[in-house]
Amino acid sequence: MQAHGKPGTGIGARLRRKEDARFLAGKGNYVSDIAMPGLMDVAFLRSPVAHARIRAVTAPAGAEDRVFRAEDLGGVKPMQAQSGIPGYRASDYPILATGKVRFVGEALAMCLGRNRAEAEDLAGEVTLDLEELPPVVDMLAARRAGAPLVHEHWGDNLFLTTAVDGRIDEVARTAPVVVKREYRMARQCMSPLEGKGVLAYWDDRHGQLVVVTSTQVPHIIRTGLAECLGLEQRLIRVIAPDVGGGFGYKCVLQPEEVAVAWLAMKRRHPVRWIEDRREHLTAGANARQHHYLVTAYADRRGKLLGLDAEVSVDVGAYSVWPFTACLEAAQAGGNLPGPYVVPAYRCKTYSIATNKPPFCPYRGVARPGVCFAIELTIDAIARAVGREPAEVRAENLVPASAMPYNNITNKHYDSGDYPKSLRMAMEAIDFAGIRARQRRGEADGRRIGIGFSTYTEQSAHGTKVFASWGIPIVPGYEQATVRLTPDGGLEIRVGTQSIGQGLETTLAQVASEILTIDPARINVVHGDTALTPYSTGAYASRSMVMAGGAVSRSSTVLAGRIARIGAHLMQCRTEEVRLAEGRVFGPAGDVSLEEIAKVWYLRPDQLPEDVDLGGLEATVGYRPKVDTGAFSYATHAAVVAVDPETGVTQILDYVIVEDCGTLVNPMIVEGQAFGGAAQGIGTALYEESSYDEAGQPLASTLIDYLLPGTTEVPAMRMQHIETPSPYTEHGIKGVGEGGAIAPPAAIVNAINDALAPLGAELGETPATPRRVLAAILAASERQAAE
Amino acid sequence: MIPITLTVNGRRVEATVEPRTHLADFLREQQRLTGTHLGCEQGVCGACTILLDGVPARACLAFAVACDGAEIRTVEGFDGDPLMARLREAFSAEHALQCGFCTPGMLISAYDLIRRLPEADEARIRRELSGNLCRCTGYVGIVAAVQRVLAEVPKAATAPSPAAEASPSARADTPLWGKIKTALGAKPKA
Ligand code: FES
Ligand code: FES
Repeated sequence: MQAHGKPGTGIGARLRRKEDARFLAGKGNYVSDIAMPGLMDVAFLRSPVAHARIRAVTAPAGAEDRVFRAEDLGGVKPMQAQSGIPGYRASDYPILATGKVRFVGEALAMCLGRNRAEAEDLAGEVTLDLEELPPVVDMLAARRAGAPLVHEHWGDNLFLTTAVDGRIDEVARTAPVVVKREYRMARQCMSPLEGKGVLAYWDDRHGQLVVVTSTQVPHIIRTGLAECLGLEQRLIRVIAPDVGGGFGYKCVLQPEEVAVAWLAMKRRHPVRWIEDRREHLTAGANARQHHYLVTAYADRRGKLLGLDAEVSVDVGAYSVWPFTACLEAAQAGGNLPGPYVVPAYRCKTYSIATNKPPFCPYRGVARPGVCFAIELTIDAIARAVGREPAEVRAENLVPASAMPYNNITNKHYDSGDYPKSLRMAMEAIDFAGIRARQRRGEADGRRIGIGFSTYTEQSAHGTKVFASWGIPIVPGYEQATVRLTPDGGLEIRVGTQSIGQGLETTLAQVASEILTIDPARINVVHGDTALTPYSTGAYASRSMVMAGGAVSRSSTVLAGRIARIGAHLMQCRTEEVRLAEGRVFGPAGDVSLEEIAKVWYLRPDQLPEDVDLGGLEATVGYRPKVDTGAFSYATHAAVVAVDPETGVTQILDYVIVEDCGTLVNPMIVEGQAFGGAAQGIGTALYEESSYDEAGQPLASTLIDYLLPGTTEVPAMRMQHIETPSPYTEHGIKGVGEGGAIAPPAAIVNAINDALAPLGAELGETPATPRRVLAAILAASERQAAE
Repeated sequence: MIPITLTVNGRRVEATVEPRTHLADFLREQQRLTGTHLGCEQGVCGACTILLDGVPARACLAFAVACDGAEIRTVEGFDGDPLMARLREAFSAEHALQCGFCTPGMLISAYDLIRRLPEADEARIRRELSGNLCRCTGYVGIVAAVQRVLAEVPKAATAPSPAAEASPSARADTPLWGKIKTALGAKPKA
């Protein structure tokens, strides 16, 4: 495949990343790499049981000043994420468990040592007196009357119930084809390779609490810390150094962040907590677990007439801050219709409290679940009407001629050609060839299947969309600062965060596009509330659209000022000059940015009286033309081989055809898509945070929780469609999450395609060998009974 | 506390360690070599991979005391090494890293793989790297980077040789490796 990319160093160039050198040298600087004089470690004593009343937490004699329990954290407030949605029940998420413990892994005490090993020794000596309570582990059981209550005073286990009540009864009465399905997605653990880490100290010189934390959202963390600690925000500085992957895990305030910050203030020496893998896999098992009941109505050709669904989300014990316990269900309800024309729609959602870790928005937020539900349903409809799933899918997709298109849940699909992405994927994966191969059969007895999944990814949604989800912090506009340095280099400051997605490169490309400065001479400063404009941070695939837009706007303002100074130096009119190759060209000569910078900073006496005193630094804000977001979309195609004897699935081929609008750096876009798809493959086939009836996590090592490796993730291929968004600067759409959305649906559709001749069908992730065999067995029992 | 003497990146180090301190903590906290990352401390993820007497090993599974007398090479110990320079270049060109957390371990496993198996095809590369997890890249760029380096080594250097699958102790400098080194000393192809 020809590598996609434009020449030059601006938007569209396949530029190597500026950040690579330090990582390749082993000189990345993550929280756990930071050394400071007097630094001490903490270890958290965590609840060994899922649900219990706390009678006593007792420090060993002589160590009382190094063990901190809830009652020792005087004045620290619990995290409480309020929601504007009527009927929402906020939970108090205590920094250290208070009154009850509500999940295995909940922090009960913070123990201080000269190093982690000593802190863990101390945690091992703390005695717990817990009165165990029956836990509620299964979300559907949690909805039933008489279930144990996670929060007694609620009277039930529901954070929130919502309903989209479209008129569906008429369709239900008359539709010739009715397909009913139940789907489940397992609980998952996001598993960035670097776990969470936080280091805090008091800075006497600035009179500030400095919190260095592995986060996607430094400015939000400052607000949250201030609320919990009762400090003014000017007294807190949050620094995010290199972040070893986030994926959503690091976009919320964590209790450990608050506890460690509090301890640094109390002790006045640096302290840190570095999450270990076991802590992450148990206390951090907080994503993806959805349950669906879907009834789809269609005509005899498989054209959708209506969709009726009930979505349950296992939110766990508390609401995270700030994204609330209902973001997931709200997104699920709004996104279930997917890229399809759905004439009638009804959906009820339940956000259910259980004795599990509090739910976090994981890459794709709800959409891997809804994509799984709708895409499996499309294939089920196709089988019900006896047609090719790909054809039924194509006929139901919103056609390009309908763009921009307002769907049934009021999503404004801005641009693109969804059916084309499907056609291209079919061609790239050799759809006809695979069907022929299936007819021939496999010598080894395995069964081949092909599956597709098409989705939309609402990226960079604006204020109104977030406000409608009722979360306490609504992302708004974005600012960026650009500054020409006295020697003609450029500094960019943004409040959003690079967590591996390459913003140090792509934001430099946007500036380079306008200012024609070589990215090698551009620095992107991020990850420090003291140095950057405010931003809610990196999530919701918003950084490239929002921060990219802001860098573009501020660069444009700076370009104007550069042009005016350049024109003055060349004694011509501003309209006569243009920027190119890092120089300003006039009718009779040119002057470099370096010379212009030198004059502004060092020889301002050479400038005219009426020079713009804003100088060679500009902070400009940005928002897209609409608040409804820019919709990326893609079709993923998978070919699998399923062994009906062992239930093992192997991915033979995987193709992605994606349209994320204008590509800023095709190499990075592909990296995001492939990396996301690898996580989606984990969702589809391997990853599962399972629990026993007592609420004990059963996957607490990477031997039990299977992250896909080089032998599980196949060689993937990608093709681009490039339809610029009409609403964003340069037509950019977000792309960070998309890769993770489609694989569970594409892969399980492929498995079901392989098993269709056996009459077996799966509706659950991960599609483990055991589940595949169970589906085959159930089908043969059903057939025997018939 | 137990005294140990070992070689770290060519430098002789004398230190005292607690019996329970693993090699990765020793390197990171006592030697300030923070390029060796800890992703699991359970021997699964491979982020802590270093060369122990020339052989890839999990620094989180080796006790520092057990490394008395050993020769350790971490990601920081490859300055001037032509193969590692080539690998780093290929990693960047192929976008084989995003957050960079798996990268040091990945580089060391890839380095070892190229030396042992200069003829490895894609399937073999994947099998050899299956002990190193990356959560960001989906491995596409990583596999491509290794393939790129293998392709850059001229044919003469990768002629089949029984030494290709040499035993660990013979890995350090096989005749084949000598040929590759010579080849790598040459200017990279444009
Ligand atoms: S940290 Fe050693 S293998 Fe993961
Ligand atoms: S680059 Fe992030 S884990 Fe590999």
